Amino acid sequence: MPDGTVLIVDDDAAVRSALKFALEVEGFNVRLYPGPEALLADHDLPSHGCLVVDYRMAVMDGLQLIDALRDRHVVMPAILITGRANNQLRRLAARSGVNQVLEKPLFDGALIEIIRQALGTRGL
Amino acid sequence: MDAALQAAQARLRSILETVPDAMIIIDQRGSVESLSTTAERLFGYAAGEVVGRNVKMLMPAPHREQHDGYLGRYLKTGERRIIGIGRVVVGQRKDGTTFPMHLTVGELRLDHRHYFTGFIRDLTDQQMTESRLNELQSEVTHMSRFTALGEMASTLAHEINQPLTAISNYLKGCQRLLERMEGEQALVLRTAVGKAADQALRAGHIIRRLRDFVARGESERHVESLPKLIEDASTLALIGARENGVEVSFRLDATADLVLADRIQIQQVLVNLIRNAIEVMVESPNRRELEIATVANADETIEVSVADTGAGLAPEVAAHLFQPFVTTKRRGMGLGLSICRTIVEAHGGRIWVDARPGGGTIFRFTLRAAKVEEPSLAE
Repeated sequence: MPDGTVLIVDDDAAVRSALKFALEVEGFNVRLYPGPEALLADHDLPSHGCLVVDYRMAVMDGLQLIDALRDRHVVMPAILITGRANNQLRRLAARSGVNQVLEKPLFDGALIEIIRQALGTRGL
Repeated sequence: MDAALQAAQARLRSILETVPDAMIIIDQRGSVESLSTTAERLFGYAAGEVVGRNVKMLMPAPHREQHDGYLGRYLKTGERRIIGIGRVVVGQRKDGTTFPMHLTVGELRLDHRHYFTGFIRDLTDQQMTESRLNELQSEVTHMSRFTALGEMASTLAHEINQPLTAISNYLKGCQRLLERMEGEQALVLRTAVGKAADQALRAGHIIRRLRDFVARGESERHVESLPKLIEDASTLALIGARENGVEVSFRLDATADLVLADRIQIQQVLVNLIRNAIEVMVESPNRRELEIATVANADETIEVSVADTGAGLAPEVAAHLFQPFVTTKRRGMGLGLSICRTIVEAHGGRIWVDARPGGGTIFRFTLRAAKVEEPSLAE
Protein backbone atom coordinates (compact mmCIF):
# COMPACT_ATOMS: atom_id res chain seq x y z
CA MET A 1 0.00 0.00 0.00
CA PRO A 2 1.50 3.36 -1.00
CA ASP A 3 2.54 5.61 1.81
CA GLY A 4 1.25 9.19 1.95
CA THR A 5 -1.98 11.06 1.35
CA VAL A 6 -3.44 12.49 -1.83
CA LEU A 7 -5.14 15.87 -1.31
CA ILE A 8 -7.70 16.64 -3.97
CA VAL A 9 -9.00 20.18 -4.51
CA ASP A 10 -11.76 20.49 -7.09
CA ASP A 11 -15.01 22.44 -6.95
CA ASP A 12 -16.95 19.70 -8.73
CA ALA A 13 -18.32 17.18 -6.22
CA ALA A 14 -18.65 14.33 -8.74
CA VAL A 15 -15.07 14.74 -9.91
CA ARG A 16 -13.85 14.73 -6.32
CA SER A 17 -15.68 11.61 -5.31
CA ALA A 18 -14.77 9.72 -8.51
CA LEU A 19 -11.09 10.53 -8.02
CA LYS A 20 -11.35 9.40 -4.40
CA PHE A 21 -12.89 6.10 -5.50
CA ALA A 22 -10.30 5.44 -8.22
CA LEU A 23 -7.37 6.37 -5.98
CA GLU A 24 -8.57 4.43 -2.94
CA VAL A 25 -8.92 1.33 -5.07
CA GLU A 26 -5.23 1.82 -5.83
CA GLY A 27 -4.55 1.92 -2.11
CA PHE A 28 -3.99 5.66 -1.60
CA ASN A 29 -5.24 7.65 1.37
CA VAL A 30 -7.37 10.45 -0.03
CA ARG A 31 -8.62 13.73 1.43
CA LEU A 32 -11.11 15.91 -0.42
CA TYR A 33 -11.45 19.71 -0.42
CA PRO A 34 -14.25 21.50 -2.27
CA GLY A 35 -12.12 24.59 -2.85
CA PRO A 36 -8.89 26.44 -2.04
CA GLU A 37 -10.36 28.03 1.10
CA ALA A 38 -11.11 24.61 2.59
CA LEU A 39 -7.54 23.43 2.05
CA LEU A 40 -6.05 26.64 3.41
CA ALA A 41 -8.29 26.32 6.48
CA ASP A 42 -6.97 22.80 7.19
CA HIS A 43 -4.22 23.28 9.76
CA ASP A 44 -3.50 19.60 10.04
CA LEU A 45 -2.04 18.86 6.63
CA PRO A 46 -0.23 15.54 6.29
CA SER A 47 3.55 15.78 6.27
CA HIS A 48 3.80 13.35 3.37
CA GLY A 49 1.29 14.07 0.67
CA CYS A 50 0.61 14.97 -2.94
CA LEU A 51 -1.70 17.72 -4.16
CA VAL A 52 -4.09 17.21 -7.06
CA VAL A 53 -5.54 20.65 -7.81
CA ASP A 54 -8.07 21.77 -10.38
CA TYR A 55 -6.96 24.88 -12.24
CA ARG A 56 -10.22 26.73 -12.81
CA MET A 57 -12.01 27.47 -9.55
CA ALA A 58 -14.08 30.45 -8.46
CA VAL A 59 -12.34 32.65 -5.93
CA MET A 60 -8.76 31.54 -6.39
CA ASP A 61 -7.37 29.43 -9.21
CA GLY A 62 -5.30 26.29 -8.69
CA LEU A 63 -1.98 28.05 -9.25
CA GLN A 64 -2.83 30.83 -6.80
CA LEU A 65 -3.62 28.13 -4.23
CA ILE A 66 -0.28 26.41 -4.84
CA ASP A 67 1.53 29.76 -4.53
CA ALA A 68 -0.34 30.50 -1.29
CA LEU A 69 0.74 27.12 0.12
CA ARG A 70 4.36 27.77 -0.82
CA ASP A 71 4.15 31.12 0.96
CA ARG A 72 3.19 29.13 4.03
CA HIS A 73 6.16 26.84 3.47
CA VAL A 74 3.97 23.85 2.72
CA VAL A 75 6.22 21.78 0.47
CA MET A 76 4.40 19.04 -1.35
CA PRO A 77 4.45 17.74 -4.91
CA ALA A 78 1.55 19.19 -6.90
CA ILE A 79 -0.34 18.05 -9.98
CA LEU A 80 -2.58 20.50 -11.80
CA ILE A 81 -5.64 19.11 -13.58
CA THR A 82 -7.45 21.23 -16.14
CA GLY A 83 -9.83 21.07 -19.06
CA ARG A 84 -7.37 22.65 -21.42
CA ALA A 85 -3.65 23.09 -20.94
CA ASN A 86 -1.97 25.49 -23.33
CA ASN A 87 1.72 26.35 -23.32
CA GLN A 88 1.11 29.51 -21.38
CA LEU A 89 -0.54 27.60 -18.55
CA ARG A 90 2.24 25.01 -18.57
CA ARG A 91 4.81 27.78 -18.24
CA LEU A 92 2.94 29.43 -15.37
CA ALA A 93 2.50 26.04 -13.69
CA ALA A 94 6.21 25.29 -13.98
CA ARG A 95 6.96 28.67 -12.43
CA SER A 96 4.71 27.77 -9.48
CA GLY A 97 6.62 24.52 -9.03
CA VAL A 98 3.89 22.22 -10.33
CA ASN A 99 5.26 18.76 -11.18
CA GLN A 100 2.79 17.95 -13.93
CA VAL A 101 -0.19 19.42 -15.76
CA LEU A 102 -2.80 16.86 -16.83
CA GLU A 103 -5.84 17.41 -19.02
CA LYS A 104 -9.24 16.18 -17.96
CA PRO A 105 -11.03 13.84 -18.38
CA LEU A 106 -7.95 11.87 -17.23
CA PHE A 107 -8.67 8.72 -19.27
CA ASP A 108 -5.26 7.13 -19.20
CA GLY A 109 -3.53 5.96 -16.06
CA ALA A 110 -1.12 8.93 -16.01
CA LEU A 111 -2.55 10.51 -12.86
CA ILE A 112 -2.09 7.39 -10.75
CA GLU A 113 1.39 6.83 -12.12
CA ILE A 114 2.49 10.39 -11.40
CA ILE A 115 1.03 10.38 -7.89
CA ARG A 116 2.86 7.14 -7.20
CA GLN A 117 6.13 8.66 -8.38
CA ALA A 118 5.55 11.91 -6.51
CA LEU A 119 4.86 10.17 -3.24
CA GLY A 120 7.86 7.96 -3.78
CA THR A 121 10.19 10.87 -4.28
CA ARG A 122 8.98 12.87 -1.31
CA GLY A 123 9.02 16.65 -1.61
CA LEU A 124 10.00 18.64 -4.65
CA MET B 1 -2.23 96.98 -45.76
CA ASP B 2 -2.32 96.79 -49.52
CA ALA B 3 -5.56 96.60 -51.39
CA ALA B 4 -4.99 93.12 -52.85
CA LEU B 5 -4.46 91.67 -49.40
CA GLN B 6 -7.55 93.43 -48.05
CA ALA B 7 -9.60 92.07 -50.92
CA ALA B 8 -8.29 88.56 -50.31
CA GLN B 9 -9.20 88.79 -46.65
CA ALA B 10 -12.68 90.03 -47.46
CA ARG B 11 -13.14 87.13 -49.87
CA LEU B 12 -12.04 84.65 -47.19
CA ARG B 13 -14.43 86.23 -44.67
CA SER B 14 -17.31 85.96 -47.05
CA ILE B 15 -16.44 82.36 -47.84
CA LEU B 16 -16.29 81.47 -44.17
CA GLU B 17 -19.63 83.13 -43.51
CA THR B 18 -21.45 81.36 -46.28
CA VAL B 19 -19.76 77.99 -46.76
CA PRO B 20 -22.27 75.34 -45.66
CA ASP B 21 -19.53 73.16 -44.21
CA ALA B 22 -17.88 73.69 -40.88
CA MET B 23 -14.36 74.92 -41.61
CA ILE B 24 -11.57 75.76 -39.22
CA ILE B 25 -8.18 77.19 -40.13
CA ILE B 26 -5.29 76.74 -37.72
CA ASP B 27 -1.62 77.64 -37.80
CA GLN B 28 1.23 75.24 -37.23
CA ARG B 29 1.06 75.60 -33.46
CA GLY B 30 -2.61 74.59 -33.46
CA SER B 31 -3.89 78.08 -32.81
CA VAL B 32 -7.22 78.85 -34.51
CA GLU B 33 -6.92 81.58 -37.19
CA SER B 34 -10.52 81.64 -38.29
CA LEU B 35 -13.60 79.48 -38.56
CA SER B 36 -16.78 79.38 -40.58
CA THR B 37 -20.17 80.38 -39.25
CA THR B 38 -21.30 76.77 -39.56
CA ALA B 39 -18.37 75.70 -37.38
CA GLU B 40 -19.39 78.22 -34.73
CA ARG B 41 -22.91 76.80 -34.73
CA LEU B 42 -21.70 73.19 -34.73
CA PHE B 43 -19.43 73.58 -31.74
CA GLY B 44 -21.60 76.13 -29.94
CA TYR B 45 -18.89 78.77 -29.66
CA ALA B 46 -18.75 82.34 -30.98
CA ALA B 47 -15.70 83.02 -33.16
CA GLY B 48 -14.26 85.30 -30.49
CA GLU B 49 -14.15 82.46 -27.98
CA VAL B 50 -12.10 80.25 -30.27
CA VAL B 51 -9.88 82.42 -32.47
CA GLY B 52 -6.35 82.63 -31.10
CA ARG B 53 -6.86 79.60 -28.86
CA ASN B 54 -5.59 76.08 -29.38
CA VAL B 55 -7.93 73.98 -31.53
CA LYS B 56 -7.63 71.10 -29.07
CA MET B 57 -10.41 72.77 -27.08
CA LEU B 58 -12.79 71.34 -29.68
CA MET B 59 -11.69 67.77 -29.00
CA PRO B 60 -12.39 65.34 -26.19
CA ALA B 61 -9.63 63.47 -24.39
CA PRO B 62 -7.32 61.76 -25.34
CA HIS B 63 -6.91 63.84 -28.52
CA ARG B 64 -7.10 67.01 -26.51
CA GLU B 65 -3.88 66.07 -24.76
CA GLN B 66 -2.27 64.65 -27.84
CA HIS B 67 -3.11 67.05 -30.64
CA ASP B 68 -0.05 69.25 -30.18
CA GLY B 69 2.00 66.07 -30.43
CA TYR B 70 0.22 65.06 -33.66
CA LEU B 71 1.06 68.44 -35.19
CA GLY B 72 4.66 68.34 -34.02
CA ARG B 73 5.13 64.85 -35.39
CA TYR B 74 3.72 65.82 -38.77
CA LEU B 75 5.93 68.90 -39.03
CA LYS B 76 8.94 66.81 -38.11
CA THR B 77 8.33 63.68 -40.17
CA GLY B 78 5.94 64.83 -42.91
CA GLU B 79 4.07 61.59 -42.36
CA ARG B 80 0.41 62.07 -43.22
CA ARG B 81 -2.10 60.40 -40.98
CA ILE B 82 -5.07 62.61 -41.66
CA ILE B 83 -4.07 65.30 -44.16
CA GLY B 84 -5.63 64.52 -47.51
CA ILE B 85 -7.00 61.26 -46.11
CA GLY B 86 -9.90 62.19 -43.87
CA ARG B 87 -11.33 60.12 -41.08
CA VAL B 88 -14.08 59.89 -38.53
CA VAL B 89 -13.18 61.48 -35.22
CA VAL B 90 -15.06 62.81 -32.22
CA GLY B 91 -15.63 66.51 -31.61
CA GLN B 92 -16.58 68.21 -28.36
CA ARG B 93 -19.11 71.03 -28.15
CA LYS B 94 -18.95 73.99 -25.79
CA ASP B 95 -21.39 72.24 -23.43
CA GLY B 96 -19.05 69.25 -23.17
CA THR B 97 -21.15 66.86 -25.27
CA THR B 98 -19.40 64.88 -27.98
CA PHE B 99 -20.40 63.93 -31.49
CA PRO B 100 -18.94 61.90 -34.34
CA MET B 101 -17.69 63.92 -37.26
CA HIS B 102 -15.86 63.37 -40.51
CA LEU B 103 -12.72 65.47 -40.70
CA THR B 104 -10.67 66.24 -43.79
CA VAL B 105 -7.58 68.38 -43.46
CA GLY B 106 -5.91 70.43 -46.16
CA GLU B 107 -2.52 72.07 -45.85
CA LEU B 108 -1.28 75.45 -47.01
CA ARG B 109 2.34 76.61 -46.89
CA LEU B 110 3.14 80.31 -46.94
CA ASP B 111 6.80 81.17 -46.78
CA HIS B 112 7.98 78.88 -44.02
CA ARG B 113 4.71 78.70 -42.23
CA HIS B 114 2.11 75.93 -42.39
CA TYR B 115 -1.62 76.43 -42.12
CA PHE B 116 -4.13 73.64 -41.89
CA THR B 117 -7.76 73.83 -42.92
CA GLY B 118 -10.16 71.36 -41.38
CA PHE B 119 -13.43 70.55 -43.17
CA ILE B 120 -15.93 69.01 -40.82
CA ARG B 121 -19.09 67.09 -41.50
CA ASP B 122 -21.31 66.38 -38.52
CA LEU B 123 -22.22 62.71 -38.58
CA THR B 124 -24.65 62.79 -35.67
CA ASP B 125 -27.77 62.33 -37.76
CA GLN B 126 -26.18 60.58 -40.66
CA GLN B 127 -26.43 57.03 -41.66
CA MET B 128 -22.83 56.24 -40.89
CA THR B 129 -22.56 53.58 -43.53
CA GLU B 130 -19.19 54.58 -44.82
CA SER B 131 -17.68 55.81 -41.65
CA ARG B 132 -14.83 54.27 -39.79
CA LEU B 133 -17.05 54.22 -36.73
CA ASN B 134 -19.39 51.87 -38.48
CA GLU B 135 -16.56 49.72 -39.71
CA LEU B 136 -15.23 49.48 -36.21
CA GLN B 137 -18.64 48.70 -34.87
CA SER B 138 -19.35 45.93 -37.32
CA GLU B 139 -15.90 44.45 -36.88
CA VAL B 140 -16.37 44.37 -33.16
CA THR B 141 -19.93 43.05 -33.18
CA HIS B 142 -19.05 40.38 -35.71
CA MET B 143 -16.13 39.41 -33.60
CA SER B 144 -18.13 39.37 -30.42
CA ARG B 145 -20.77 37.15 -31.96
CA PHE B 146 -18.03 34.87 -33.14
CA THR B 147 -16.36 34.89 -29.76
CA ALA B 148 -19.69 34.34 -28.01
CA LEU B 149 -20.14 31.19 -30.05
CA GLY B 150 -16.62 30.09 -29.22
CA GLU B 151 -17.18 30.90 -25.59
CA MET B 152 -20.35 28.84 -25.50
CA ALA B 153 -18.59 25.93 -27.18
CA SER B 154 -15.68 26.04 -24.77
CA THR B 155 -18.02 26.38 -21.79
CA LEU B 156 -19.96 23.40 -23.05
CA ALA B 157 -16.72 21.45 -23.47
CA HIS B 158 -15.73 22.31 -19.91
CA GLU B 159 -19.15 21.42 -18.49
CA ILE B 160 -19.21 18.04 -20.21
CA ASN B 161 -15.60 17.34 -19.35
CA GLN B 162 -16.39 17.41 -15.64
CA PRO B 163 -18.96 14.56 -15.58
CA LEU B 164 -16.78 12.73 -18.08
CA THR B 165 -13.86 12.96 -15.68
CA ALA B 166 -16.08 11.51 -12.97
CA ILE B 167 -17.32 8.71 -15.24
CA SER B 168 -13.87 7.73 -16.41
CA ASN B 169 -12.47 7.61 -12.89
CA TYR B 170 -15.37 5.55 -11.53
CA LEU B 171 -14.89 3.14 -14.42
CA LYS B 172 -11.16 2.96 -13.86
CA GLY B 173 -11.71 2.07 -10.20
CA CYS B 174 -14.25 -0.57 -11.21
CA GLN B 175 -11.85 -2.07 -13.72
CA ARG B 176 -9.18 -2.41 -11.06
CA LEU B 177 -11.57 -4.06 -8.63
CA LEU B 178 -12.80 -6.43 -11.32
CA GLU B 179 -9.24 -7.41 -12.20
CA ARG B 180 -8.92 -8.75 -8.70
CA MET B 181 -12.13 -10.80 -8.90
CA GLU B 182 -12.47 -14.24 -10.32
CA GLY B 183 -15.26 -16.16 -12.00
CA GLU B 184 -17.30 -15.91 -15.14
CA GLN B 185 -19.44 -13.01 -13.99
CA ALA B 186 -16.39 -10.93 -13.21
CA LEU B 187 -15.19 -11.59 -16.76
CA VAL B 188 -18.51 -10.47 -18.24
CA LEU B 189 -18.47 -7.36 -16.08
CA ARG B 190 -14.90 -6.57 -17.06
CA THR B 191 -15.86 -6.66 -20.73
CA ALA B 192 -18.92 -4.48 -20.16
CA VAL B 193 -17.05 -1.93 -18.05
CA GLY B 194 -14.27 -1.86 -20.63
CA LYS B 195 -16.82 -1.06 -23.33
CA ALA B 196 -18.35 1.66 -21.20
CA ALA B 197 -14.85 3.13 -20.81
CA ASP B 198 -14.42 3.06 -24.61
CA GLN B 199 -17.61 5.05 -24.99
CA ALA B 200 -16.50 7.60 -22.43
CA LEU B 201 -13.27 7.89 -24.40
CA ARG B 202 -15.30 8.46 -27.56
CA ALA B 203 -17.23 11.28 -25.90
CA GLY B 204 -13.90 12.72 -24.80
CA HIS B 205 -12.67 12.77 -28.40
CA ILE B 206 -15.77 14.65 -29.51
CA ILE B 207 -15.18 17.23 -26.82
CA ARG B 208 -11.58 17.56 -27.88
CA ARG B 209 -12.60 18.12 -31.49
CA LEU B 210 -15.05 20.79 -30.41
CA ARG B 211 -12.33 22.50 -28.43
CA ASP B 212 -9.88 22.33 -31.31
CA PHE B 213 -12.51 23.86 -33.55
CA VAL B 214 -12.94 26.75 -31.15
CA ALA B 215 -9.19 27.12 -30.85
CA ARG B 216 -8.83 27.36 -34.62
CA GLY B 217 -10.58 30.72 -34.55
CA GLU B 218 -7.75 31.89 -32.37
CA SER B 219 -6.41 35.30 -32.75
CA GLU B 220 -3.99 36.89 -35.14
CA ARG B 221 -1.55 38.89 -33.15
CA HIS B 222 0.48 41.82 -34.36
CA VAL B 223 2.47 44.59 -32.82
CA GLU B 224 -0.10 47.29 -32.16
CA SER B 225 -0.02 50.75 -30.66
CA LEU B 226 -1.92 50.54 -27.38
CA PRO B 227 -2.88 54.26 -27.31
CA LYS B 228 -4.33 53.84 -30.82
CA LEU B 229 -6.25 50.73 -29.75
CA ILE B 230 -7.64 52.60 -26.77
CA GLU B 231 -8.50 55.57 -28.96
CA ASP B 232 -10.44 53.43 -31.45
CA ALA B 233 -12.23 51.46 -28.77
CA SER B 234 -13.18 54.52 -26.76
CA THR B 235 -14.36 56.41 -29.84
CA LEU B 236 -16.87 53.63 -30.24
CA ALA B 237 -17.68 52.99 -26.61
CA LEU B 238 -17.96 56.60 -25.47
CA ILE B 239 -20.52 57.86 -27.95
CA GLY B 240 -23.36 59.16 -25.81
CA ALA B 241 -21.32 59.05 -22.60
CA ARG B 242 -21.20 62.84 -22.19
CA GLU B 243 -24.91 63.12 -22.78
CA ASN B 244 -25.34 60.80 -19.80
CA GLY B 245 -23.22 63.08 -17.65
CA VAL B 246 -20.18 60.80 -17.66
CA GLU B 247 -16.84 62.59 -17.27
CA VAL B 248 -14.13 60.73 -19.10
CA SER B 249 -10.43 61.00 -18.43
CA PHE B 250 -7.38 59.23 -19.79
CA ARG B 251 -4.16 58.64 -17.93
CA LEU B 252 -1.92 56.93 -20.45
CA ASP B 253 1.64 56.01 -19.55
CA ALA B 254 3.84 57.37 -22.35
CA THR B 255 6.12 54.35 -22.02
CA ALA B 256 3.20 51.93 -22.45
CA ASP B 257 3.12 52.00 -26.21
CA LEU B 258 3.45 48.83 -28.25
CA VAL B 259 1.70 45.57 -27.38
CA LEU B 260 1.44 42.20 -29.05
CA ALA B 261 -2.27 41.82 -29.59
CA ASP B 262 -5.18 40.92 -31.79
CA ARG B 263 -6.45 44.44 -32.38
CA ILE B 264 -10.13 43.64 -32.69
CA GLN B 265 -10.20 41.26 -29.76
CA ILE B 266 -8.55 43.75 -27.41
CA GLN B 267 -10.86 46.47 -28.67
CA GLN B 268 -13.71 44.16 -27.85
CA VAL B 269 -12.44 43.79 -24.29
CA LEU B 270 -12.11 47.56 -23.96
CA VAL B 271 -15.52 48.31 -25.47
CA ASN B 272 -17.05 45.76 -23.14
CA LEU B 273 -15.42 47.17 -20.03
CA ILE B 274 -16.16 50.79 -20.98
CA ARG B 275 -19.82 50.12 -21.86
CA ASN B 276 -20.24 48.19 -18.61
CA ALA B 277 -18.70 51.07 -16.66
CA ILE B 278 -21.03 53.58 -18.30
CA GLU B 279 -24.06 51.35 -17.70
CA VAL B 280 -23.42 50.93 -13.99
CA MET B 281 -22.81 54.65 -13.53
CA VAL B 282 -25.96 55.66 -15.37
CA GLU B 283 -27.88 53.43 -12.95
CA SER B 284 -26.39 55.07 -9.89
CA PRO B 285 -26.96 58.55 -8.48
CA ASN B 286 -23.23 59.06 -7.72
CA ARG B 287 -20.96 61.32 -9.69
CA ARG B 288 -20.04 59.66 -12.96
CA GLU B 289 -16.32 59.53 -13.61
CA LEU B 290 -14.72 57.10 -15.97
CA GLU B 291 -10.97 56.79 -16.07
CA ILE B 292 -9.04 54.76 -18.59
CA ALA B 293 -5.40 54.30 -17.66
CA THR B 294 -2.31 52.39 -18.68
CA VAL B 295 0.85 51.61 -16.75
CA ALA B 296 3.97 49.88 -18.03
CA ASN B 297 5.18 47.30 -15.53
CA ALA B 298 8.77 46.27 -14.93
CA ASP B 299 8.11 42.70 -16.11
CA GLU B 300 7.36 43.78 -19.70
CA THR B 301 3.65 43.73 -19.25
CA ILE B 302 1.29 46.65 -19.54
CA GLU B 303 -1.66 47.05 -17.25
CA VAL B 304 -4.80 48.63 -18.64
CA SER B 305 -7.51 49.75 -16.26
CA VAL B 306 -11.07 51.02 -16.60
CA ALA B 307 -12.36 52.64 -13.42
CA ASP B 308 -15.92 53.73 -12.70
CA THR B 309 -17.67 55.48 -9.82
CA GLY B 310 -20.73 53.19 -9.92
CA ALA B 311 -22.28 51.31 -7.03
CA GLY B 312 -19.40 48.83 -6.82
CA LEU B 313 -19.58 45.05 -6.62
CA ALA B 314 -20.58 42.80 -3.76
CA PRO B 315 -17.71 40.39 -2.95
CA GLU B 316 -19.82 37.34 -3.74
CA VAL B 317 -20.59 38.76 -7.18
CA ALA B 318 -16.97 39.73 -7.78
CA ALA B 319 -15.81 36.17 -7.14
CA HIS B 320 -17.90 34.73 -9.97
CA LEU B 321 -17.82 37.70 -12.29
CA PHE B 322 -15.68 36.19 -15.02
CA GLN B 323 -17.54 32.90 -15.18
CA PRO B 324 -19.84 32.35 -18.12
CA PHE B 325 -23.58 32.89 -17.68
CA VAL B 326 -23.11 35.03 -14.57
CA THR B 327 -24.77 38.41 -14.95
CA THR B 328 -26.03 41.28 -12.84
CA LYS B 329 -27.96 42.71 -15.75
CA ARG B 330 -31.63 42.15 -16.32
CA ARG B 331 -30.95 41.46 -19.96
CA GLY B 332 -27.74 39.83 -21.03
CA MET B 333 -26.28 36.39 -21.31
CA GLY B 334 -23.47 36.87 -18.85
CA LEU B 335 -20.88 36.17 -21.51
CA GLY B 336 -19.24 39.60 -21.83
CA LEU B 337 -16.72 39.35 -19.01
CA SER B 338 -16.21 35.67 -19.56
CA ILE B 339 -15.23 36.48 -23.16
CA CYS B 340 -12.96 39.25 -21.89
CA ARG B 341 -11.20 36.72 -19.70
CA THR B 342 -10.87 34.22 -22.53
CA ILE B 343 -9.36 36.90 -24.78
CA VAL B 344 -6.99 38.32 -22.18
CA GLU B 345 -5.79 34.87 -21.10
CA ALA B 346 -5.29 33.84 -24.72
CA HIS B 347 -3.01 36.90 -24.96
CA GLY B 348 -1.01 35.62 -22.01
CA GLY B 349 -2.45 38.21 -19.64
CA ARG B 350 -4.67 38.30 -16.59
CA ILE B 351 -7.90 40.14 -15.89
CA TRP B 352 -9.23 40.98 -12.46
CA VAL B 353 -11.38 43.42 -10.60
CA ASP B 354 -10.62 45.69 -7.65
CA ALA B 355 -12.83 47.91 -5.57
CA ARG B 356 -12.17 51.58 -6.37
CA PRO B 357 -11.11 53.59 -3.32
CA GLY B 358 -13.96 56.02 -2.69
CA GLY B 359 -16.55 53.79 -4.34
CA GLY B 360 -16.92 52.07 -7.67
CA THR B 361 -15.00 49.40 -9.47
CA ILE B 362 -11.72 49.09 -11.37
CA PHE B 363 -11.31 46.42 -13.99
CA ARG B 364 -7.70 45.70 -14.82
CA PHE B 365 -6.02 43.51 -17.37
CA THR B 366 -2.48 42.96 -18.54
CA LEU B 367 -1.01 42.61 -22.00
CA ARG B 368 2.48 41.71 -23.04
CA ALA B 369 4.52 44.70 -24.14
CA ALA B 370 6.11 44.39 -27.58
CA LYS B 371 9.74 45.29 -28.04
CA VAL B 372 10.32 48.51 -29.90
CA GLU B 373 12.10 47.56 -33.08
CA GLU B 374 10.68 49.86 -35.68
CA PRO B 375 8.58 52.84 -34.78
CA SER B 376 6.66 52.39 -38.03
CA LEU B 377 5.22 49.13 -36.71
CA ALA B 378 2.97 51.24 -34.56
CA GLU B 379 0.75 52.26 -37.42
